[in-house]
Amino acid sequence: MQNESNITEYYKKTAMFWSDMIAMMSSKPTTLTAVGPIRNLSSNLKKITSELTEANKEIVEFNNFLIEYYKQLSDTWTSAQKEVASRAPKIPQNEESVEAYKRVWIDIFENSFTGLFDSKKFSENYNGLISTELDLLKRWNAITDVMLKSANLPTKQEIDEIYEEIHSLKNRIFKLELSKKKTENARK
Amino acid sequence: MPENKFNPKIIGEFLNFGRNLVEAPMKVSVPHEVKIGSTQFDVAYKEDKMRLLHFKSLTSKQIRTPLLISYAIVNRYHIFDIDPKKSWIRNLLMQGFDVYLIDWGTPSKIDRFLGFDEYVNGYMDNCMDFICDETDVDKVSIQGYCTGGTLATVYSSLHPERVKNLIATAPVIDGWKDTTVVSNIAKYFDVDKLVDTVGNMPPEFIYFCFSILKPFEQGVEKYLKFLNNIDNEKYVDSFLKIEKWLDETPPIPGELFKQWIKGIYQDNLLIQNKMYVGNKHVSLKNLNMPIFTQVAVGDHLVSPECSMPLHYAVSSTDKILKLYPTGHVGMIASSFSQKIVLPELGQWLKERS
Repeated sequence: MQNESNITEYYKKTAMFWSDMIAMMSSKPTTLTAVGPIRNLSSNLKKITSELTEANKEIVEFNNFLIEYYKQLSDTWTSAQKEVASRAPKIPQNEESVEAYKRVWIDIFENSFTGLFDSKKFSENYNGLISTELDLLKRWNAITDVMLKSANLPTKQEIDEIYEEIHSLKNRIFKLELSKKKTENARK
Repeated sequence: MPENKFNPKIIGEFLNFGRNLVEAPMKVSVPHEVKIGSTQFDVAYKEDKMRLLHFKSLTSKQIRTPLLISYAIVNRYHIFDIDPKKSWIRNLLMQGFDVYLIDWGTPSKIDRFLGFDEYVNGYMDNCMDFICDETDVDKVSIQGYCTGGTLATVYSSLHPERVKNLIATAPVIDGWKDTTVVSNIAKYFDVDKLVDTVGNMPPEFIYFCFSILKPFEQGVEKYLKFLNNIDNEKYVDSFLKIEKWLDETPPIPGELFKQWIKGIYQDNLLIQNKMYVGNKHVSLKNLNMPIFTQVAVGDHLVSPECSMPLHYAVSSTDKILKLYPTGHVGMIASSFSQKIVLPELGQWLKERS
C-alpha cells in the first residue's frame, strides 16, 4: 500500500516537474507573443497533465468500487444459484416441470437481488461508484474547459452562469407579470 | 444401458422459442415506430417546454368542474392513454369529465435551475389560471400521479382556495417510510455532486433505477414471455407500447431533482410540515378540500407506506383512502383500473363536482 502510494507520488511529481519545466521554457518567448499559441499550448499542457495525474487516484478508487459492485452481484448470483440447485430436486418431474423450474428460478433470483439492492452495503457502494465516476467527469470537464478557453469559447461554468442568469431573469419577469395582473384585477 | 427419455413438450417449446426468435423481426413492428396515445387533444396552453393538453369531450353533457391531471416528472404522460381499452383519460371523458393534463415535456440544459417553485407556483398555477379563465370557474379538481401526486399535494397546500378536490394517486409523501429500492439508493445519494457535475438527472440513470426494481421479472421473464407470444397481436401491441413508453424517459431538471431527493427522501420535509417552496411554508394541514388517496398494495415504485400518511396528515374531514390489489402502473393502465379504480373515482368526483 505504502509502495503504491510512493509510486503514485513519484509519477505525479515527475509529471508536474516536466510540465512546469515546459511551461517555464515556453514562457520565455511570451514577451514577444503573450497570447500566442505556444504559450497557450504550454499552459494548457500543464493544466491537462495536472488533471490527468489527479484523475489517476480517482481511477483507482473507481476501480475499487466497481470491483466491489461486481463482487456483490456475483456473490448474490452464486448464492441464488445454490438455492435454486437445492430446490430443483424437489420440483415434481412432469409436463409442467420446465415452467415450475423457471418460476422457482425467477422467484429466488428476484428475491436475492431485491435483497441486495435493498441493502445498505449496496447503496453505499453504488453511490460511492457514482460519486467517483462524477469526480472523473469533473476532471474531464476541467480538461474540456481548458481547451474551450484556449479556443476562446465559453466554458461549462460560463455557460452554466448564463443559464442561471436566464433563469433568474425569467423569474423576475414572472413576478413583474404577476404584480401587473394583480394591479389590473384590483382596478376591475 | 439407461434409456434416454426426452420430454416432447420441452423439445416442442424449445423449438418454438427458437423459431419465434428468428421470426420476431418479420412479425413485429420496430418499437420506435409504434404509435402511443389514442385520445384526441388540443394544446390549450404552452409555457417553455410544458404543455397543457385539453382532451376532446366524448359526451354531450359535461361535469361543471374541470379536472387537471398533474403527471409525474418521471417518464411521459402517455401511460394515461396508451391503449384505448385501458385509457385513464378516455374513461374519465366517457364519464363526462372535462380533462386537462400537464405534459412537463423534455427538459434540456437550460432548464437545470427549475425547481419546485417554478413547477408548482409557476407552471401549475398558470395552468390553473388558464383553465379557470377558459371554463369560467373559480376552482378546479386536481389529480396527481406518483411524483405528480406530490406536486399536486404541494400545490393544494399552497393554493387551497383554488382546488375543488384533490386526488392523490400513489403520491410520494413520506420518504423515510418508503421501502423501495429507489428510496434505498436515494438515502446515500450525493445529489449535489451529480447536479453540479452533469446538470439535469440523466434519463439513463433513471432507467437504471427502474431496471433494478424487478430485475428478473422485468429484465428476463418479460422478454421471454414476449417471444413466446409473438403471434398474439394484442399482446405484442401492448408490449411494444409499454416498452416505448418506458424508453422515453426525459431527464429531470437538476434543481428539482436535488430538492426532490433532499426534501422528500433524505430529510423527509413534506410529511413533517417543514417544507418551503418559493419561501412559502408547505403544510399538509392546509389541505381542507375533499381528498381521495389511491394506493396500490403491490406498488414497487412508491410503497403504500410512503403514500398512505397523506390521508392521516391532512385537515380535511371529507377524505377517503383506498387500497387496490394491483401495482403502480396497474392502478392507472389496466383492465382492473377500468373496472374498479376509475368507476370508484368517477363516482366520488361526480358527487363533489
